[in-house]
Amino acid sequence: MATVPNVDVGSDYKEKYGFFVPEEYVFKAKRGLNPEIVKEISWMKQEPEWMTKMRLRSLEIFRKKPMPTWGADLSVIDFENIFYYLKASDKQSKTWEDLPPDIKATYDRLGVPEAERKFLAGVSAQYESEVVYHSLQKELTAKGVIFTDTDSALRDYPELFKEYFGTVIPPADNKFSALNTAVWSGGSFIYVPKGVRVEIPLQAYFRINAENMGQFERTLIICDEGSFVHYIEGCTAPIYTTDSLHSAVVEIIVKKNARCRYTTIQNWSTNVFNLVTKRAMAYADATMEWVDGNLGSQITMKYPSVYLMEPGAKGDVLSVAFAGKGQHQDAGGKMIHVAPNTTSTITSKSISKGGGRTSYRGHIKMYPGAHNSKSFVKCDALLLDDESRSDTYPYNDVDAENVTLGHEATVSKVSDEQLFYLMSRGITRSEAETMIVNGFIEPFTKELPLEYAVELNRLIQLEMEGSVG
Amino acid sequence: MGLNAETLDELRGEPDWLHDRRQSAFATYGRLPAPSKTDEEWRRTDVSRFDLGQYSKLEHLDGQKLVLPSALPKGVILKPLRQAAKDHPDLVEPRLFSLVHADRDRFTALHAAFFTGGTFLYVPDGVVIDQPIIGQHFSHEGGTSVLPHTLIVAGKNSRFDYLDEYIAEQEDEAGYRSGSTEIFLGDGSQVGYVAVQKWGRNVWHFADQRAELQKDASLKLFNVTLGGKFSKTRVEASLVGQGANAELKAIYFASGDQFFDFHTLQDHRVGNTRSDLLFKGALQDTARTVYAGLIRIEKGAARSDAYQANRNLVLSDHAKATSIPMLEIDNNDVRCTHGATVGPVDPEHLFYLRSRGIPETTAKRMLIQGFFGAVLERIPFEHARNLVEAELEARIG
Repeated sequence: MATVPNVDVGSDYKEKYGFFVPEEYVFKAKRGLNPEIVKEISWMKQEPEWMTKMRLRSLEIFRKKPMPTWGADLSVIDFENIFYYLKASDKQSKTWEDLPPDIKATYDRLGVPEAERKFLAGVSAQYESEVVYHSLQKELTAKGVIFTDTDSALRDYPELFKEYFGTVIPPADNKFSALNTAVWSGGSFIYVPKGVRVEIPLQAYFRINAENMGQFERTLIICDEGSFVHYIEGCTAPIYTTDSLHSAVVEIIVKKNARCRYTTIQNWSTNVFNLVTKRAMAYADATMEWVDGNLGSQITMKYPSVYLMEPGAKGDVLSVAFAGKGQHQDAGGKMIHVAPNTTSTITSKSISKGGGRTSYRGHIKMYPGAHNSKSFVKCDALLLDDESRSDTYPYNDVDAENVTLGHEATVSKVSDEQLFYLMSRGITRSEAETMIVNGFIEPFTKELPLEYAVELNRLIQLEMEGSVG
Repeated sequence: MGLNAETLDELRGEPDWLHDRRQSAFATYGRLPAPSKTDEEWRRTDVSRFDLGQYSKLEHLDGQKLVLPSALPKGVILKPLRQAAKDHPDLVEPRLFSLVHADRDRFTALHAAFFTGGTFLYVPDGVVIDQPIIGQHFSHEGGTSVLPHTLIVAGKNSRFDYLDEYIAEQEDEAGYRSGSTEIFLGDGSQVGYVAVQKWGRNVWHFADQRAELQKDASLKLFNVTLGGKFSKTRVEASLVGQGANAELKAIYFASGDQFFDFHTLQDHRVGNTRSDLLFKGALQDTARTVYAGLIRIEKGAARSDAYQANRNLVLSDHAKATSIPMLEIDNNDVRCTHGATVGPVDPEHLFYLRSRGIPETTAKRMLIQGFFGAVLERIPFEHARNLVEAELEARIG
């Protein structure tokens, strides 16, 4: 407690995280969005006809759907000024050594291999729009676990793919799921067979690199009966000057008695629009857990949801949002109780500073027939200065008998007593504030694997830099 | 048919400014679109079956009954609102519909165009009235519109209690009702206001209550909603002076196929202000309720303290409660907490009482009484408290 680590992480941010490597692309689509570009993407990927048709149909839906009138202000997005597909290198590398040197340099600087080497079962790193580095542990393959990028999955496991793709989040779900279905590229595909437990977290790094490039990855996870998997998604993006759009779709199916945990640490640079649809279907006695951390981006709109489809299903969302200057984090969670005896919890922690705005937006819905279900939502917000803003918009609809629903929220500042105590122990004000913030999000950090917890604490320190005088 | 321009002519003998205001509100009504499902406030609140044409007759131009304390202190003005508009335009004209705006939606516009009855109460600076003042609004027949409006002006450091009672003579009458209230609280004033809505079971009821609190003013506002097949109530308090304190409480008991909607706003415009909201309701049969409340703390409103809670006791398998407690906080130096619960009678509590030999129905009734008990004590004056206790007793059975 007496010695505080040097928190001067922010001063070299540009060198450390703000770098970018010169663009070098095998194929680069034109800016903008029209059926020709969508067909071209599908042709480049040599996709089956049903997928091409689905993409084109989704494009139509995207064009017809209005922009959401709630949440953050999205009017500044210019859909015609975005690259919808890029491919960084022609073929996938099998080992770390095979990676192109400039891409390797990018990851070296991010510290990916060092941090993860001992933990990794498979690294699936998404550079630009496609997975370029991907290794699967033999053990996993032997167990029948499929962990691949979504493009390869469409090619190599067409039947499994077609059975589940778009079933959890259909293209017409919302404007951005339609956009994603039209132009998706990359993402992870995981299938865990019956009764198989994947003890080591599966991880993928996503990166946006090219200026004005949209990233539309598509992730599909299927946990068959009695299986378990923990998937970790982490994002860091270099700083650019014009806006970028990230609009992913994540679909998860958790079958009977299975458990899936999906952990995200999202740190897009502060000009990225991060509009993501994440949804899981949990069947009998299955458990779905979303652990969702949102630090970067200009605007994030993301509400991981769980549809509790059969008795005994359980859903969990643990969400942390940090909004600094010019940022709006509109995050939260949704729990849709369809079956009886289902339970859900949402815990949200948000921090606003320097004029940033965090909004919790949540929805608990208990349909008729979801009797004996329980749901509890807790939101805590911390406002670090008087320029910042915090909102809470929880929607609670109870349509079922004998259910219990609770919602609690508090908004507060860093307490003077806590600050005084720490400062009386010789800790500077800014260090004390950083410690209090780290303590505030501790329930989240402790759910992360160690190296991610370290990384998150480092990012918080970085965000806290210069926050107080 | 319905209420129309000719109906406006029935309201003759009013000052020109009021007649003009009614006409402009009626024009606003014509201009505004009907609430649609895409409108957040109306998403869960269906008014599509409200047919104004059925309620074209205005009832009770000035027909409310005022129960006065034995002697009103000097300077207090208490009279029907339309009479007051004639006698005291200087007091009424600048305030009427300045808190509850006619252009808020179609129903506020309709109310502003056709309000009849209702009370004007003016209590001068420093005046204290010990006994509560009671305004009773009756409906005698079905198929009519009854649209009273209450305007209350509390002078500096004045203190008094007021009760609005909305009473149906027949439980099954149909009709269109609105009972809106504007309360202006001067510096240091203390006002208790209770509204008890017990219209018939086939009535459409729309109410807009809004209070504005100046420095160190204190408001205790209490709503009791029991009647109507459809009842939508907005309760809003603007805290515009430092040290202002608003307590907004309500109980509701929805049974049969009743639908109740409550929208509340605690608007902290300046700092060092306090608001405390608690809405508690029980639902049975196929009743539905919607609660949506917002605490808004404006940028400069440091050291504000706001609390908001909505508790729903669901007593039947087919009742449905929606609860949306919202916060918009623009200042960090605040204390702000809210909570919402929806749930049945606690089975453990029920088990405990039954293990003491109490029959299930009695035990359930005791638990419902217990649920309301604590909040009933917050009704600001005894007369209203006794009235509400008796009403609840009759309904819980």
